[in-house]
Amino acid sequence: MSASAVTRDHAISLGFFLFLGLAWEFGVRWSGVQSYLLPPPSAILAELWQSRGPILAQSLVTLTEVFWGFIIAVALGVPIAALIFFSRTAKRTVYPLFVALQSIPKIGLAPLIVVWFGYGLTSKLIMAFLFAFFPIIISTLGGLASTPAHLEEHFRALRATPMQSFWRLRVPAALPSFLDGCKVAMPLAVIGAVVGEFVGSNDGLGNLILTASGSGHTTLTFAALIAVTLMSLILFYGVAYWERFIWWRAA
Amino acid sequence: MSAVISISGVGKAFGDLRVLGDVSADIGAAEFVSVLGPSGCGKSTLLRLIAGLTPFEDGSISFNGAAVTAPAPEMGFVFQTSNLLPWLNVRDNLLLGVDLDAAVQRPSDAVFADLVETLGLTGFEASHPHQLSGGMRHRVAIGQALARNPQVLLMDEPFGALDALTRDRLNMELLRIWQRDRKTVVLVTHSISEAVLLSDRVLVMSERPGTIIEDVRIDLPRPRDPSVTREDPAFGDYVVRLSKLMGVL
Repeated sequence: MSASAVTRDHAISLGFFLFLGLAWEFGVRWSGVQSYLLPPPSAILAELWQSRGPILAQSLVTLTEVFWGFIIAVALGVPIAALIFFSRTAKRTVYPLFVALQSIPKIGLAPLIVVWFGYGLTSKLIMAFLFAFFPIIISTLGGLASTPAHLEEHFRALRATPMQSFWRLRVPAALPSFLDGCKVAMPLAVIGAVVGEFVGSNDGLGNLILTASGSGHTTLTFAALIAVTLMSLILFYGVAYWERFIWWRAA
Repeated sequence: MSAVISISGVGKAFGDLRVLGDVSADIGAAEFVSVLGPSGCGKSTLLRLIAGLTPFEDGSISFNGAAVTAPAPEMGFVFQTSNLLPWLNVRDNLLLGVDLDAAVQRPSDAVFADLVETLGLTGFEASHPHQLSGGMRHRVAIGQALARNPQVLLMDEPFGALDALTRDRLNMELLRIWQRDRKTVVLVTHSISEAVLLSDRVLVMSERPGTIIEDVRIDLPRPRDPSVTREDPAFGDYVVRLSKLMGVL
């Protein structure tokens, strides 16, 4: 695609979203919909600017929960996936256990988690962890299993030790799938943290959304929602960024 | 000439499927031997048995006098697919068989540079496999086996997936390298002209379960080049003879 075609594509996207924003703005103004039901984008942007202090502070709380939840999901998910992959016993015991746990609606677990771990950071990072954990396990498993058999044989012909085959063949071969799992898990971790904050918290963006809408402060609700969305997007692209280092996914 | 590889009474079945009958052959030092046979005759399996990649129950194979039970550091295997690691560059792919195998000595910088040069890969050391043509990937695959400086080179239809022109060109390079280094080569192929052009001996195999039905010595002068295929009438005679044995003429 030529550079001018790319520029044109960007212009089309930008124009489309600008049109949506304007339609919203003037639709709300002309139809007389009450601002506490649906505020115009201009009011939301103004609110975002005015309340930037508290929104940033609450974002930082949520970000901390998401960060630790995601890190723990990777730190536990990857070795557990490796265990399930290499051990027949684990495949018959640990794997079905996690599949069963995954089938529990995690939103339903939130009140329990809050009862067990309190209103602080711990219960929220556990919620973020619970949402992110399963995609990490599944994608790592899929990646480990996707190592081509002909390459395994090749490594045997080169007299590679099992450790070498693991680190120098299976791990790199599993990375693309693992990264796909991270791309799914990261936004889920954000959802987990926010759900945790809904159910029991004194701070965080989820709490802000809940208190703002509870007090009829709809513009602040929207502003907080935008903050959550932005955070989720930034985190997603932060993960996707690493794809350039594993370009061999297509090869 | 003492045998480097000695195969005696080897058979192999995968479950109920008998792929190799009763195979016996001796392969001497610095001999270029082709195993020629129809698809599915077990010739690739035979090569894997020699390489110690596939276990077998019937008969025995010895390499330098010792029974083959596992891959040996003195052997280099070139697979049908180039099997390069997409995340390693050409240089690291070439040296993979050296890096992984503690029993193989790393080539000196001069020897390695010579290998890269011989294979026409100079300037591509930092490229990754997806940036190379199919023919170049196969050169890297051959180079990976050669970098181990093996006594024996086992090749399983290494150019089977390539177009005819690239295949001819790589065969010539293989011939040139072999004429210089004189390694023992066992080449599995289903191309009759390729087998005649390259080999000292051609072992012709039957349909599955494969056995060796004829051991044909190719007495064409060396060094050979593609002009043999056109100018030496003996070349045509060998092709006709092998074609008859294969039942295609």
